[in-house]
Amino acid sequence: MPNDAIISLQDVTFAYEGDVVALRNLNLTVRKGEFVVVLGANGAGKSTLCYLLSGIAPHIYGGRRLGLVSVAGLDPWDEPLYVTSQRCGVLMQDPEVQLFMPTLRTELAFGPANLGVDRDEIAKRSRAALGLVRLEGLEEHNPRDLSGGQKQRAALAAVLAMSPQVLVLDEPTSQLDPLGRWEVVEAIERLKQQGDLTIVMTTHETEEILRLADQVLVLDRGETVLQGGPAEVFTQAGRLEDAGVKTPALIMIQSKLVQPGGPTALATNDQRVNVTLSGVAAQAREAVEAGRLFVCSQAVPRPRSIAADRPIILEARDLTVQYPGPPPVVALRSVNVQVRQGEFVGIVGQNGSGKSTLVKCFVGLLRPKQGEVLFNGESIRKLSVGEIARRVGLVLQNPDYQLFTTYCHEEIRFGLRNVGVPEEEIEQRVEEALRLVGLSEEAELFPFRLSFGDRRKLAVAATMALDPRVLIMDEPTTAQDHRGRYQLADLARRFHEEKQGTVLMITHDVDLIARYAHRLIVLYDGRVLLDGPTAEVFTQVEELEKSFVVPPVAAQLAAELAPLGVPPTVMTLDELNRVLVPHRDGDGEEVA
Amino acid sequence: MEPIFRYTHLDTPIHRLHPLVKMGYVMLTLVLVMYPIRETDMPILLIWLGFSAVLWAVARIELRRFVTLLKILTGTFVFLILIQGLTYRGGDTPLIVLGHLKLWEADLGVITKEGTWFGLVLCVRILVATSSLPLFVMTTPTSAIMTAMGKLRIPQTVTFMFVSALSFTTLIFEMWGSIVDAQKLRAFDIDSMNVFKRAFKAYVPIITPLILLLFRKANDFQIAMETKGFGAPVKPTEIETLRARPADYVWLALIVIVFVACTVLKFAR
Repeated sequence: MPNDAIISLQDVTFAYEGDVVALRNLNLTVRKGEFVVVLGANGAGKSTLCYLLSGIAPHIYGGRRLGLVSVAGLDPWDEPLYVTSQRCGVLMQDPEVQLFMPTLRTELAFGPANLGVDRDEIAKRSRAALGLVRLEGLEEHNPRDLSGGQKQRAALAAVLAMSPQVLVLDEPTSQLDPLGRWEVVEAIERLKQQGDLTIVMTTHETEEILRLADQVLVLDRGETVLQGGPAEVFTQAGRLEDAGVKTPALIMIQSKLVQPGGPTALATNDQRVNVTLSGVAAQAREAVEAGRLFVCSQAVPRPRSIAADRPIILEARDLTVQYPGPPPVVALRSVNVQVRQGEFVGIVGQNGSGKSTLVKCFVGLLRPKQGEVLFNGESIRKLSVGEIARRVGLVLQNPDYQLFTTYCHEEIRFGLRNVGVPEEEIEQRVEEALRLVGLSEEAELFPFRLSFGDRRKLAVAATMALDPRVLIMDEPTTAQDHRGRYQLADLARRFHEEKQGTVLMITHDVDLIARYAHRLIVLYDGRVLLDGPTAEVFTQVEELEKSFVVPPVAAQLAAELAPLGVPPTVMTLDELNRVLVPHRDGDGEEVA
Repeated sequence: MEPIFRYTHLDTPIHRLHPLVKMGYVMLTLVLVMYPIRETDMPILLIWLGFSAVLWAVARIELRRFVTLLKILTGTFVFLILIQGLTYRGGDTPLIVLGHLKLWEADLGVITKEGTWFGLVLCVRILVATSSLPLFVMTTPTSAIMTAMGKLRIPQTVTFMFVSALSFTTLIFEMWGSIVDAQKLRAFDIDSMNVFKRAFKAYVPIITPLILLLFRKANDFQIAMETKGFGAPVKPTEIETLRARPADYVWLALIVIVFVACTVLKFAR
C-alpha cells in the first residue's frame, strides 16, 4: 500500500448472507484527492463496493468478507458506522430517503449533532457545505420542497457536513432529469477541484465523468475486467461493451472515424481524457480534407414520418390542468396534441414541464376541468380508467407500485380479470404477453425474485395483455444500465412494428429518442415548445436549450460538420458511421 | 395524495410556542378524553374542541386539513352512532324503528334517541383526541420535537422512532397514491368501490406493494440515518435552542385553565 493511499482493497471477496458472491478478488488503491469512477452493468457489484467502503456492509447488509480493506486508516468492518461515517460519507441514488428534517439547516446539522459536534462548528460546516453545492439562502426551506437536483445536492451537503475524507457516491444522478444531473455533476466537479476530498463514484453515465476521472474501475459480475486511467480504459470499447458499459460517444466517434486504429487516437493528459466535441469535429474535418474520410451524404434516409392521412387515435384538445397546492401549480396550459395511428412519439422536457400530467390525462388518471382528451375522435370523459386501459396502456416508471401476486402469470391475469376477459382467453393472452417480453420461463416465479429490469418487463407484459391500441412508457431507462436501457424500448418497437400499435415514450434519454421515435414533442412550462419529426426538432438547438434538452452527440457533430455536406438529419452513431466513410485504397484497406 | 400531518413552516403564535407547552396541550387532551365518559359530557368535549379549533385557527392551518381528518373518521362515526343507537342500554325513546329484535332488555331493531346521542358524544370524544396531535405535528419542526423530547429525558431511540414515523407518513401517502394509480391502470379502481368491497377485497393489491416498498425504504432510511452518526454513544448537540418566553407561560396558563374548567365542570355535576 503506497504511503499516500487513502483507500486500499487487497484481494477482497464479499458474499451476502445466503452466499451470493457480489465481489471477487478485488484490488484497488486510491490516493488522496483522486476521483475514481466505478462502472459496470446492474448487478456488477458497484453498490456492494460502496457498502464495503462506507461500512454499510456488514453493519446493515450482513455477509462474509475475505481480504483487507482500509479506508482513511480504518477498516470499516471493525468499526461502528458512526465512526466510519466521520471518515467516509456516502450518498445514495434516491434523495427522498436521505432527507428527513424539516429544514435544510437542520438537515445539515443532523449528522454532526449526533456526534456531539459543537454548534459553532456545525454552523461553520453547514455554511461551507451549502456553498459547495450552491444552496445558500435556502437554509429554512423544507428539503422535500426542492427540485430533484436540489434535493440530491442537499443530501450531498448533509454528507459533507460530516467532514469526511472520502466521499462515496452511488449513482447520484441516476434518478434525476438533465438539469438535476447537470447541477449535481457541477457540484461534484467543484468538490474535485478543491482537491482535499477523495471521491469514489459509481455511474452508468460515462459521458458525465469523462473529464473528472483519474482512475476507472470496470466490474462485471463482481470481478474486475478493466482498471486504469480513463484513456486506457475507454479505448477498449469491445471489453466495455461486454461488461455492459457504454463507451462515451465522442471517443467512439474519434476512434472509429477520425483516427481508426485505437488508443493513440485519444488526446490525453496524464491518462485523463480531454476530448471535446469541437476537437473531434476539427479532427473529422482534417480527416476529410486529407482524404482519409469521405462524406456520403445520401447514406442517411430522409426522416421517417407518418402519413398525414392516418386517423388521429389520441388527441388532447386545449388541455389545462392546475394542481391545487398550496401554492397552486399550473401543470398544463392549453395543450393541443394530436397523435396519429402508428406513430412512435418521444416526449421530453424537464421535471415539472407537464409530461406526466399529459399522459395521466390520456389514461384518465387525471380529469382536466378545462379541455378534453379524445380517443378515436370520442371523448374519454365518460370512460373509467379501466375502460381506457383497454385502449391506452401506461407503463409506469416503477413496476414495484403494481406487483403484488405470488406468481408472474397471476400478475398478468389480474388486469385481464378486472376488465372481464373470458377465462379461456385469459390463458392465451397471458402466454402471449410473457412470450413477448421474454419471461415465459419465469411464469411460475415470485415477481420480486426477478431483477428490476425483468420486473419492468413484467409490468409491460401486464399492460400489453390488455391489448391496448396505444402504449405509453414513462421513463423506461431510469436506473437501468447500458445493456438493459434499450430492452423496454425494444419491446415498444415490437409492439409498434408487429401490432401496428401507437407508442408514446417519455424519457430524458435523447439517444433513445433518436433511435426509436419518428416524432418528438418537447414540453416546457406546461406548453408544447416544439413538435415535429425528431431530426428536425433536434436541429432547433436554441429552443431546446430552454428545456435543458441537449441533442445526441452524433446530431451535434453532424451540425458542426454540415459545411462538409454531413446531413443535419444524422442523429445516431450508426448514421454517422454511414455518412463518414473511411477511404479505402485499391486493396480495400483503409487509408491511414 | 398529500399527507395531512406534514409540518408547515409559518410564523404564527402557535408555531412560535415552546414545544413543551404544545406537548402539554396534547397530554391534557389525552387525559380529558380518558375520563370515564357519560352522555352528559358533550358540553365539556365541545368546550375543549372549540378551544382546539381556536388553536388551529391561530396556527393558520387550512380548514381542508380538518375536513380531511373528518373524512377519515366518517366511517368510524357512522359505525359508532349506529351501534350505540341500536344497543345503548339506557335508550328508551325510539328514533327510528327498523323492526323488533329483542335480546335480553334491548330491542336491536330500534335506534334510540339516547343511544344516538351517546354515539355522538363518543364521536366528539374521538375528534377531540385526534385533533390535538396534528396541531402539534403541523406547527412544530422535527428538530424542535427531538430537542423537546430530549429535555423530557425520553431515550433517543424512542424519539427517533417517533420522528421517523412522522417522516414515513409523508412517504406512505405518496406511495399509496402511486400504487392506487398503478392498479387503476389495470382496471382495479378502489375509489369506485363501496365500503364493504373495499374492506373485503380491495386492499390486498394496494397494501401488499405498499408493505414491500416500505421494507425497502426503511432499509434506505436506516442507512441514511446511521451513516449520519445516529446512535453514536455521545450526548447529541441540541439542534434547536428552546427558550421559554413570557408568551409561553401565558399560553400554558390558558391551556391549564381551560383544562381545569372542563374537569371541574365534569366532576362537579
